Amino acid sequence: MILLVEDNPDDEALTLRALKKNNILNEVVVARDGVEALDFLFGTGAHAGRDLALMPEVILLDINLPRINGLEVLEKIRANERTKLLPVVILTTSNEERDKLKSYTLGANSFIRKPVDFLQFSEAIRQLGLYWLVLNQSPPLVKV
Amino acid sequence: MGAESRSSVSPPGRQYWKIAVVVLGVTIVAATGLYHLARLYVLNEAERNIQAVLLTHKGLHRYIQEVMHPVFYKLRAEGLVADTFYAPEIFSSTFIVRNQHKAYNEERKAAGLEEIYYKMAARNPRNPVNKADALEEKLIRMFNENKEIKDYREIVRIGDKDYLFVALPFLVNQQRCMKCHGNREDAPLGLQALYPGLGGFNEKAGEIRAIESIRAPLEQQYFLLYIVFGSSFAGLLVLAGLLFFNGRLRGMVRTRTHELEQEVVERRRAEEEVRQVNEELENRVEERTAQIAAANKELDAFAYSVSHDLRAPLRGIDGFSLALLEDYGEQLDETAKGYLGRVRAGCLRMGELIDDMLQLSRLSRGEIRQQEVDLSGMAGEIAEELRRGAPERRVAFEITPGIRVFGDAILLRAVLDNLLGNAWKFTAKIEEARITFGRKEEGGKDLLFVRDNGAGFDMAYADKLFGAFQRLHSLQEFAGTGIGLATVQRIIHRHGGTIRAEGEVGQGATFYFSV
Ligand code: HEC
Repeated sequence: MILLVEDNPDDEALTLRALKKNNILNEVVVARDGVEALDFLFGTGAHAGRDLALMPEVILLDINLPRINGLEVLEKIRANERTKLLPVVILTTSNEERDKLKSYTLGANSFIRKPVDFLQFSEAIRQLGLYWLVLNQSPPLVKV
Repeated sequence: MGAESRSSVSPPGRQYWKIAVVVLGVTIVAATGLYHLARLYVLNEAERNIQAVLLTHKGLHRYIQEVMHPVFYKLRAEGLVADTFYAPEIFSSTFIVRNQHKAYNEERKAAGLEEIYYKMAARNPRNPVNKADALEEKLIRMFNENKEIKDYREIVRIGDKDYLFVALPFLVNQQRCMKCHGNREDAPLGLQALYPGLGGFNEKAGEIRAIESIRAPLEQQYFLLYIVFGSSFAGLLVLAGLLFFNGRLRGMVRTRTHELEQEVVERRRAEEEVRQVNEELENRVEERTAQIAAANKELDAFAYSVSHDLRAPLRGIDGFSLALLEDYGEQLDETAKGYLGRVRAGCLRMGELIDDMLQLSRLSRGEIRQQEVDLSGMAGEIAEELRRGAPERRVAFEITPGIRVFGDAILLRAVLDNLLGNAWKFTAKIEEARITFGRKEEGGKDLLFVRDNGAGFDMAYADKLFGAFQRLHSLQEFAGTGIGLATVQRIIHRHGGTIRAEGEVGQGATFYFSV
């Protein structure tokens, strides 16, 4: 399962298309802002009662999000016992050094800048899927 | 500050002590001088008294001997006076003078004056009253042995008083004196009868047989008064003078001190004003700095959101154009595909523009870190990179070694990147391309330059060269966003330098700059 946290519907559609194009057929859960993403991960709010044994293999996290931004979401993920080992890939339009630095400081596993050229983006998504979903060994589930 | 300036004036205590010493000194000197003056004066006074007495006596002697005696001898010759008649009261000048002096002293006493001692002292007196004492006898002998000595004087103390004692030799015995002082048998009968014995007889002519001895008091009753009054007066005079001048001096010092204090106060005030102005300026600078910082922060936020928000829709346009091409390509004819290709190319170009613009704004905002930068070395590296990027090209790089400046290494790197990159780009169509980085002196200033023999430009547009998004060549000719030179100019300006370009179409271009 992939958790895509993205508020821009265009980017959402393009990302989903890029995943499909690259034959990444894992289930994709989309959260449209930071609160929704955290609700899903911690089984709260709209996702209350969700089976928390099911955790995403990778989280694709945008930085510019309504309500709670991506960096705060990352911070909360890393602060929680259950989610602290989940791979998080920051996917953002920003090319700011400070965003990159902050992301890695907070424990992001990768930082990918969304290029304007969709082909490049698609290639990035392909490599990402290859690494995080195929090559990478998922962390053991943490029982709480 | 007041205590300080006042301490430079000597304390009044020390001042008065000095004055006291000076006054005392002057008083002592004055007293000594006055003592001597007074002594001289008193001596003179006594001398004059004595002289007056003696001259009176002399006159009287002469009158008796020169006037009275001839009359007496004439009367006797005419028989009007008996041959045997003699009376010292009317014949003897010494008798008359002695008694006249006695009467004179009585008159002095009655007038409240001190008596003046007078004595006719003789070795061989006719009248024992005239008998010389030991001193007088000695003096008579002295006068007889030393005829040139005309007087003897001495100050003697009797009781608690000083006297001027004067002794003068009396008349020398002459022939005419022998009538009464020669042989006793020759003397008048009356004389013989009156003065039994040989006293006053058997004198020799030419001998001094008597002295006049006289003693006048030195009038000392005002003596001390003179000295005390005189010296005190002198002392007081000096004291008054000193106090007067001292007062004036202190007044002057006080005025000057006051002036100095005033000056210090004014200087303080001026300093305070300067300090306040400085503070105000500092505050204003701080305020301005804060404003600039705030503006920079806003600009930062703006740039950030531009980079996000402007690129997101572009990505959408490009992504969906590609989706159209890929997913519905068979339903589109070639023209439609061409249009979609142009849409995508536009998106890419706009993405580049946004990135360059952000870089330009980032370069203009960052702090400049001053350090020594080896520009020659940097130019060499860039040339290597360019060559590596297009190994097929034949370009001659001429780089003057050892060009070092002070500036921000990253920003200066961007300058050389742009200038050399431009030169590389615009010589692409030249067979024998040559790119030079060097140094040149112009008007006493060190100018650096990057020269190429490429496409060049029309000098008429030279001022447009450095404007953002200004291009002198079409995109087809040479790719680029037109932002590179604007970035270069901004960096050079931020280093306090200048940049200008020279060129000619087809003859290459030269960019001169200073750091
Ligand atoms: C007419 C006589 C007479 C003649 C001249 C005369 N004397 Fe005398 N003289 C006397 C008598 C008398 C006395 C003493 C008077 C007295 O009792 O003091 C005397 C006294 C003196 C004394 C005082 C000392 C003493 O012996 O008692 C002196 C000095 C003196 N005569 C000098 C002279 C001289 C010098 C002359 C000449 C210029 C002179 N006399 C001429 C009669 C004379």
